[in-house]
Amino acid sequence: MDGAVSETEHIERLAREAESLKIRLDDERQKLNDVTLSVVADRLEPISCINVKPRRVLKGHQAKVLCSDWSPDKRHIVSSSQDGKMIIWDAFTTNKEHAVTMPTTWVIACAYAPSGQLVACGTTYRRKRRRWARTRRTRPAAPPNSDQQVLTGSGDSTCALWDVESGQLLQNFHGHSDSVMSIDLAPSETGNTFVSGSCDKLVFIWDMRSGQCVQSFEGHESDVNSVRFHPSGDAVATGSDDATCRLFDLRADKEVASYTKESIIFGANAVDLSISGRLLFAGYNDYTVNVWDTLKCQRVALLYGHENRVSCLRVSPDGTALSTGSWDTTLRVWA
Amino acid sequence: MVMSTVQTRRQEVEQLRREATIKREKLSKSMKEMLDFIREHEQEDCLLVGFSSQKSNPFREKNSCAIL
Repeated sequence: MDGAVSETEHIERLAREAESLKIRLDDERQKLNDVTLSVVADRLEPISCINVKPRRVLKGHQAKVLCSDWSPDKRHIVSSSQDGKMIIWDAFTTNKEHAVTMPTTWVIACAYAPSGQLVACGTTYRRKRRRWARTRRTRPAAPPNSDQQVLTGSGDSTCALWDVESGQLLQNFHGHSDSVMSIDLAPSETGNTFVSGSCDKLVFIWDMRSGQCVQSFEGHESDVNSVRFHPSGDAVATGSDDATCRLFDLRADKEVASYTKESIIFGANAVDLSISGRLLFAGYNDYTVNVWDTLKCQRVALLYGHENRVSCLRVSPDGTALSTGSWDTTLRVWA
Repeated sequence: MVMSTVQTRRQEVEQLRREATIKREKLSKSMKEMLDFIREHEQEDCLLVGFSSQKSNPFREKNSCAIL
């Protein structure tokens, strides 16, 4: 009985400490909140005209396209689909160069290794292909230019870093309380961090070496479907089922922008930034891709073409093109 | 059940303690640096400013006829 009482007291004490820490964190952030984004953005010229056109349609999957990634050669694309296949495309010619059939239907994630010589995929198929079996979204990971490790985010709410050769788990990342939907590595060579977005509505920044969450961002009102680092490495962009995309600044430790319009009521599945970070591309459930001015928070273009949900989207490594994948079974290249 | 609640609470407090120690910068400073980054890279950003000539666009449509 005594034990139970002290446990209750213990919980209450921890709850009180958590509450006071939260207040302190809010105060700290508020103190540094000395400018609004719109004031900063006024110093930039408005974007005149976005001249991005549909250039290629990649046809070959038999079911929903679920994920895609550009090769470092800026020419090839890997895509994965609900048809159980992973296809390597030559985006210049639209030719299929390889097709890999997985022992499952939902190949929910795929990614190129830094060398461009390997691709990883994540499926809903458990155990047999243990290395990448539990993944929700996978991405080959640090050290950069190495294919030795793969980072995964999983439906079991954890992220994990694996050794590719041995299949051994190198580091586990616990903290989310629901499925991890998306992960992205920090672009900087020195940065050993990555970001994760989850159905628990939270966005976490992780230290890859210690396995600890170093920053967390709340604000989204529903599942966070997609996370991407700003090319500067100092912010992350997110897309959510709450029909908003947001930008979180790591150094100011707060949300700095929300990209939303009254007419946009569908969830955003995929986000990526142009190489300067000025444009945010977001693929939505209403079949469109919206292009946002990240600083002025205005929509500057709308890309039509897909005939079903836009499920994935990636800016090419040199920033010349955008690839999009959809439940309409096609991928498209815009430039 | 009680143990797991204590565990969760403790983790939450530890997480908040860690976050309380991180170094933060004024928003004006980090936003200025983001602005500088954009300005520094916007000329290379083909999706933003377009291509200097369509020939440099690797995804341009091939001309259907060529000058002989």
